[in-house]
Amino acid sequence: MTVPTARQVAGRRLRASRGVAGALLAIVLVAIVLAALRPATPADALDPASPDQDGARALTEILRQRGTPLTVARTTTDAAEHSTSDSVVVVTRPGRLTRADLLRLSAAPGDLVLVAPSARVLAALAPTVEEGGQSYGDSGPPDCPVPAAQQAGSVAFGSSLTYTVPPGATGCYRESGLARLVQVPVGSRTVTILGSAAPLTNAHLDEEGDAALALNLVGARSSAVWLVPDLPPPGADRGDRSLGDMVPFGWRLLPVGLAVAIVLIALWRMRRFGPVVAEALPVVVRSAETIEGRSRLYRAHHARGSAAAALRASARARLVPLLGLPRGAATDPAAAPEIVTAVARRTTHDEAAVGYALYGPEPADDAALVALPGLLDDLERQVRDS
Amino acid sequence: MAVTGRLGLLALLGALLPLLVPSWWTLLAVWAVLAFGVIVDVAFAGNVRALELHRAGDTSVRLGEAARVALIVENAGRRRVRARLRDVWPPSAGAAPRVVRIDVPAGERRRIEMTLTPTRRGDRDAVTVVVRSRGPLGLAARQLSRPAPWRVRVLPAFPSRRHLPAKLARLRELTGANVAQIRGQGTEFDSLREYVAGDDVRSIDWRATARRGDVVVRTWRPEQNRRLYLVLDTGRTSAGRVGDVPRLDCSMDAALLLGALASRAGDRVDLLAYDRRVRARVEGTSRTDVLTAMVQAMAPLEPALVESDAAGMVSALLARVRQRSLVVLLTDLNAAAIEEGLYPVLPRLTARHLVLVAAVSDPRAAAMARARGDLVSAYDAAAAERARAERDRLTAELRAFGVEVVDAPPDRIAPALADAYLALKAAGRL
Repeated sequence: MTVPTARQVAGRRLRASRGVAGALLAIVLVAIVLAALRPATPADALDPASPDQDGARALTEILRQRGTPLTVARTTTDAAEHSTSDSVVVVTRPGRLTRADLLRLSAAPGDLVLVAPSARVLAALAPTVEEGGQSYGDSGPPDCPVPAAQQAGSVAFGSSLTYTVPPGATGCYRESGLARLVQVPVGSRTVTILGSAAPLTNAHLDEEGDAALALNLVGARSSAVWLVPDLPPPGADRGDRSLGDMVPFGWRLLPVGLAVAIVLIALWRMRRFGPVVAEALPVVVRSAETIEGRSRLYRAHHARGSAAAALRASARARLVPLLGLPRGAATDPAAAPEIVTAVARRTTHDEAAVGYALYGPEPADDAALVALPGLLDDLERQVRDS
Repeated sequence: MAVTGRLGLLALLGALLPLLVPSWWTLLAVWAVLAFGVIVDVAFAGNVRALELHRAGDTSVRLGEAARVALIVENAGRRRVRARLRDVWPPSAGAAPRVVRIDVPAGERRRIEMTLTPTRRGDRDAVTVVVRSRGPLGLAARQLSRPAPWRVRVLPAFPSRRHLPAKLARLRELTGANVAQIRGQGTEFDSLREYVAGDDVRSIDWRATARRGDVVVRTWRPEQNRRLYLVLDTGRTSAGRVGDVPRLDCSMDAALLLGALASRAGDRVDLLAYDRRVRARVEGTSRTDVLTAMVQAMAPLEPALVESDAAGMVSALLARVRQRSLVVLLTDLNAAAIEEGLYPVLPRLTARHLVLVAAVSDPRAAAMARARGDLVSAYDAAAAERARAERDRLTAELRAFGVEVVDAPPDRIAPALADAYLALKAAGRL
């Protein structure tokens, strides 16, 4: 097996990761498409600081220039603090108000302008008015005695909610009996319900009588509070009931009973049936361990010389009796030529090869050492067979 | 006191009851019922203290075979005992069954058969007997440990006894009546018999021939009543494992075969196990009992991880043995142990006795010496050859001292030692 080049390895890894990269890309694309398609209300709609199409900066700037002090409030607490009996609180995006917020607003003094309120908001702040439906007609004569509407004339509402006009209230810009602008006295205050946010926005302020309507509604009193509620925290409107309150009592006893049962089961399993018996075990030492250790030491230090000497000495010791020489000759250097000659005569190897095999120098490399036992085996076999 | 799984299960089911009747009282009622059940069970469970335990059965077993030990449970109490019983033995005793169910009516007894299959040699003591006596409802039990002492001695396996018939046949050839032996040293007069063609004419007893009027020859047999002293080295070299068995166990096996053979041959056999002190000694037993005595003496021997004291061993030997004997030293040919320990004291031993050293060689070393092919096996072969050269040198040096040496792998050491003994006997060197 050939070793792959770095380029091949890189290519293989790239191919392997293609699927993962493709999947990640697909996920990002889908996320972008979903985000683009999402019909969310922009966060700064009717924000007095926003210069966007649906912001309300133009209106609030004009109001300030005309000398009406305008406070921007982000919470109902703030709004209630700044509202006086001679002020108008403009409640934009009332859908964000929680129950507590609505209570706080209804307790605050001064007039209210509600921008496209839902039935829930109406129930809290103008209980007599009910939500009617949607209207798309752009404009029409006010046809009512509200001064602001009369001064404004026809107004570009865009699409707008409509409301019923209860007795005692004044409805303007009616369409089939339902009004887009309702002014109703609630207690000592006047609550004005505007069906559409369009007359207040930067985009539509210059159309028809929008500016007049907006300025007259918001600047009707000596000061104005512009409430743009922040998103309430999740669960803020749920009240004091926790999850536990909703669980039936019987189920709440279950964990207690289960805990006791588990303790009893643990006691059952815990009780040991008799003692643990310890036993002295015999030591395990392999007899060949010292030999293996010596082999590893040879290898670790590349002791080819010592290893070859051991192999040669034992081969000589086995060869010498076969050759009919005295046993001592195997370790006697003086007998070397005699042994080599005798072995060479009985084998196919020449004297040089036999001399290297039996008395040679330290093998030059590992391959030579690996080959040595084979060579010695061959000599021994040939001598034995001769 | 112990609770049962049934109690836990009931508590678990009871925990579901408040779902039907949601009230604290439901739960408390469940617990009260269970607590009452536990009290009843503990109160009416059979009395464990009133049980009397006895044992019967085997007291010794050969390693590899199964021993049967009975446990007799006698109920001296007034109530019936329904219980689970565990007879606790050490793990290497291989006791089965682990747990038994017993049902002993008052005043009766039951016998429980235990089977022990020990995995190691030595003494195995029963630890205790645990009885868990269950109440009538099965919710709680009374548990107690009662002593029931018993000891099973696990004897050496002696696998080489299969060689004994063959060696005895050889022995009969040596001593036998049908082969006329040439008179030599170490033989003694056996009997006179008629001349048969082929007998050595030198063995004709002329005086008897004259008396009988027929040619009579004398027969000779190897001398009997020689003395054999088997010395087991239980020091560190005996702990090394050859294959999966400690060297000591191989030596024991060889010693047992030699002991069995020599006692049949009419020789006296003694045994000494020694490392730094006497571990076991068998002396002066009769020929018929010697094997049993040796096996019993060997059973609890374990290798000690200390250097053997050869001088002490020789002293212990010489102090007891006056008569010339064959001293068989079962040890290992370990250069350090032999050269430093045995050589200095060997002349004292060889001066009076014939010494035979029997050593178990390791087949793994032989396999390593034959390893070929790669660098690892080349170095392995070199290391193994070096070890072998060392053993060969020690063998040669010991022979120079006049010591006989038997060096064989574990599967051949016992017959090899027996053969060496028979050869010595045939040569009349005992």
